[in-house]
Amino acid sequence: MPANDLSLRSAVDVLYSDHHSWLQGWLRKRLGNTFDAADLTQDTFVRVIKARTALDIREPRPYLSMIAKGLLIDLFRRRSLEQSYLEALATMPQEQHPSLEEQAILLQALMEIDRLLLGLGPRVRQAFILSQFDGLTYPQIAERLGVSIRTVNNHMAKAMEHCCLMQIQLQLS
Amino acid sequence: MNLPPEELQAIRVAARWYARLHSGITTDADRADWRAWLAADPLHGQAWQRMAAVAEQMASVPGALAAPTLSDTHQRSRRQVLRSALLLTSAGGLGWLGWHSQATQNLFCDHRTAVGERREFQLADGSTVLLNTDTSINVRFDGQQRRLELLRGEILVTTAFDPLRRPFKVVTGPTEVLALGTRFIVRSQARGGEVAVLEKAVEVSLLATGSRMRVEAGQRLDFNERSLGALRGNDVSVGAWQKGSIIAIDRPLAALLDELSRYRPGVLRWDPAIGDLKVSGVFPVDNTDLALAALESGFSLRVTRYSRFWVQVSGGDRR
Repeated sequence: MPANDLSLRSAVDVLYSDHHSWLQGWLRKRLGNTFDAADLTQDTFVRVIKARTALDIREPRPYLSMIAKGLLIDLFRRRSLEQSYLEALATMPQEQHPSLEEQAILLQALMEIDRLLLGLGPRVRQAFILSQFDGLTYPQIAERLGVSIRTVNNHMAKAMEHCCLMQIQLQLS
Repeated sequence: MNLPPEELQAIRVAARWYARLHSGITTDADRADWRAWLAADPLHGQAWQRMAAVAEQMASVPGALAAPTLSDTHQRSRRQVLRSALLLTSAGGLGWLGWHSQATQNLFCDHRTAVGERREFQLADGSTVLLNTDTSINVRFDGQQRRLELLRGEILVTTAFDPLRRPFKVVTGPTEVLALGTRFIVRSQARGGEVAVLEKAVEVSLLATGSRMRVEAGQRLDFNERSLGALRGNDVSVGAWQKGSIIAIDRPLAALLDELSRYRPGVLRWDPAIGDLKVSGVFPVDNTDLALAALESGFSLRVTRYSRFWVQVSGGDRR
């Protein structure tokens, strides 16, 4: 193992033993439950290890809580998406429901798409969803949103560019 | 992001092309311009591949479920959920079904359904088109005509009155179907297809030879690359898929299983020895496992599942 890998590793060890219980307490206060807090604490340290930044951290607690906050938002978003998904599913006839295994795959796929859409303005997002998933034409979307066809076209171009860059970024990380 | 600026620029332009080609009102001139752009620089091709990757990811989920789920969660209200519930039921219980789609094949088409999916679209003139499982179409409306291109699969078209009096046509492989104010089904198959008329009439022409035939309500006509077939009467089985079933009346088992496999991802095989067995019944296409179970119990067949995606039907033990 190269020397800097060794020192990186000991830096992570120090970070973990010094701040692990503090972080878990910080998360428990926000989540109100021990299991999720333990999970997210673990995930936070995994992020730090992957980023290989442990040696450069000057202020460990603000840094760790920044990462943990991102993970918290992800978790809330995932829960809210899951809720919407279940509501949408509930509107479909029971006999058409996918199997539980298929549902898990489907929910995962929806979350990944949701991550691509993250950061789009609400109008752009709506236009994109109406086109991609509802199959509406631009004139139909324009009418529904009360904007010009040209605007719908611009929204679509913007959304595609955004999703494409997000996809590249997520593949790299 | 560490992409070079020229690549970022190509992505931006590719996204604009994607937007322009998916408006539902794209012209042949747009497509010609796009092809020229694509050919102009290998970077353009690369950027377009990235659009394909995005489109493929979007196509990995059924639209009917993705739309209500992904609509912005911050603005979600009870009413919105209820509204999507209404939309789903008013589409006649079309709804869900598999998302195993060939997204890249469908990237260049305007509307598509995955295997097992059924969806209705309203066109710009108010006409509606219902796509059966595994179907792709292009919509080509301009000042002169309303034209649908059926690339694969099966559609049910209900035409609307057009104040501009443009003719409504469906083109598939070797034929053109001219609607004469009407409701009809067009199916595209490997070497031809079939047209069935539910209301009013259509005129079917074979583009290669110019031969034409008028098909009236209650009639159907099959065709291949070289000729139009003979007119036959519709029975109850025609178009039963729009309500989610296949109706078989003394149908050879092989033909029924062939039909069922259109709605089912994966491999469905059968022992040739039982292919000629005649079966009758109503079989649900939205749950092909149920259909197979009905065959198993009703016609003493044996259905063996090697995996979810590999099913073999053979003769039952007759001991």
